[in-house]
Amino acid sequence: MLPYSALLKREKSMTVFIQQIINGLAQGGIYALIAIGWTTVFGIVGIMNWTHGEVYMLGAYVGYFLTTSAGFSLFPALLISMAAGAVIAMLIDQIGYVPLRKNGTIVQSGFITALGLSTFLRYSANAGFTASPRVYPELLQYRLITLFSAGGTEITINSIHFMILIGTVIIMVILQLFFSRTIIGKAMLAGSQDMKTLALMGADAEVLIKVTFAISGALGAAAGFFMGTLYTIFPTMGALAGLKGWACAILGGIGSITGSLVGGILIGIAENLTSGLISTGYKDAISFIIMILVLLIRPTGLMGYKFEEKV
Amino acid sequence: MELLKVSNLDVYYGNIHALRGVSLHVDEGEIVSLIGANGAGKTTLMSAIVNQIPSAGGEVCFMGSSIRGKKTAQIVREGMTLVPEGRCVFPRSSVEDNLLLGAYFRKDKAEIKKDINHIYEMFPRLLERKKQLAGTLSGGEQQMLAMARALMGRPRMLLMDEPSMGLAPIIVDQVFDTIVEINRSGTTVLLVEQNANQALRIARRGYVIETGQIVLEDEASRLMKNEQVREAYLGA
Repeated sequence: MLPYSALLKREKSMTVFIQQIINGLAQGGIYALIAIGWTTVFGIVGIMNWTHGEVYMLGAYVGYFLTTSAGFSLFPALLISMAAGAVIAMLIDQIGYVPLRKNGTIVQSGFITALGLSTFLRYSANAGFTASPRVYPELLQYRLITLFSAGGTEITINSIHFMILIGTVIIMVILQLFFSRTIIGKAMLAGSQDMKTLALMGADAEVLIKVTFAISGALGAAAGFFMGTLYTIFPTMGALAGLKGWACAILGGIGSITGSLVGGILIGIAENLTSGLISTGYKDAISFIIMILVLLIRPTGLMGYKFEEKV
Repeated sequence: MELLKVSNLDVYYGNIHALRGVSLHVDEGEIVSLIGANGAGKTTLMSAIVNQIPSAGGEVCFMGSSIRGKKTAQIVREGMTLVPEGRCVFPRSSVEDNLLLGAYFRKDKAEIKKDINHIYEMFPRLLERKKQLAGTLSGGEQQMLAMARALMGRPRMLLMDEPSMGLAPIIVDQVFDTIVEINRSGTTVLLVEQNANQALRIARRGYVIETGQIVLEDEASRLMKNEQVREAYLGA
């Protein structure tokens, strides 16, 4: 029988644990949004679009200017940021990747083009917006919402985390409906399996690729916007977040949207548990540790598919 | 009426001259079979007709106008499609979604629904499995699905690349019966096969291709009696 104080301590550590998980959910939702943007473009266009982190950063800045100088409130600002992200991503495709697809060098040069574009955008933002971090105005009143109480301790979620979670869930549901109910969504899923055969369905690949970039950009910008409501934003914020989104996509299984969602949430939680229970110093490392482990143990990720050819 | 006319088509893979001035034609309503050994250029010809691979010279006409250099998707929209070698169903999409994708470019929703019901009458197995992922179907069912999917685009002309590949003999019979049925309902068929016996049995005319060249052209019934063909392709 443990002494009372030890029992209390154990109970406390349990509630701390649960609280850390809940704190990680919002961050995980943001990573999931980034990860889905990665995975859709990779699945359908077949490139690692390194500019994705930059779209995320630009989305955060669009949201910042909308909510400060333009005085927009939360929801209109979020929607306009997403639209801006969609346009930016389509422009990136038009300027960066379309010429490569036309002359058939996308496989060889896609990656280095993406890196170049990403660096260009990042440091243009640095020059244009200055390197000093910026803070979103308070768009939502900060308060703690009690979810339930465990052993006398209340487990809470703050209103901004809650808004991010709800926003992420709504975006996911819309995305899922788009992919499962519309013919363009179905064609995109088919294209991620076999682009060559999709042309035999009379589908114009270029149109589908543009839609893919638009979706990826809108999700990236939404993630940037949500990040802005949580932390300060700065021109190089896309570098690490983009990489982490990629790690989430690998954990979930490249090409799987549900996988990206799960991967994002898991890594968000893992980061919070790491900084809460081990040390904040490992917070940024944990996602890449997980990524390397996934690649070593289960390269198809949690929800990656593998079909054997049937006769 | 000549629906498809290929004249002097040349295709290169790097330095390899894969098709050497291939000419053939398919009249409306026909089944025409192209037989040849592995590597003779059968699949290359099919891919070049729908411009999945570029051709270096020659001409491809569909319904009297040139389609060489047009995008594959455009050719499909104009009424000619290919059931590719190896079936190429979308394995992670459901059977029904595969069929709907076959009608991707069509806007007549009510008619699409009718066509799907018609397909399910024609292929009851697909109805049973409409919610299943296409990758879980057997090889024969996948071949049926690939043909059904092509039909959903209401093509005037269907190219079929090795539909019997890798299938059990009893399934092969079904596949060829289905091709005849498709043809009877008004779709012109150009069929490429290693299974020369079956392919010539259902065809009106046939071509023999060897190392990228058409070496024989005749009525299918006469090709089946041809000594060279019997020896090389019919195992006589």
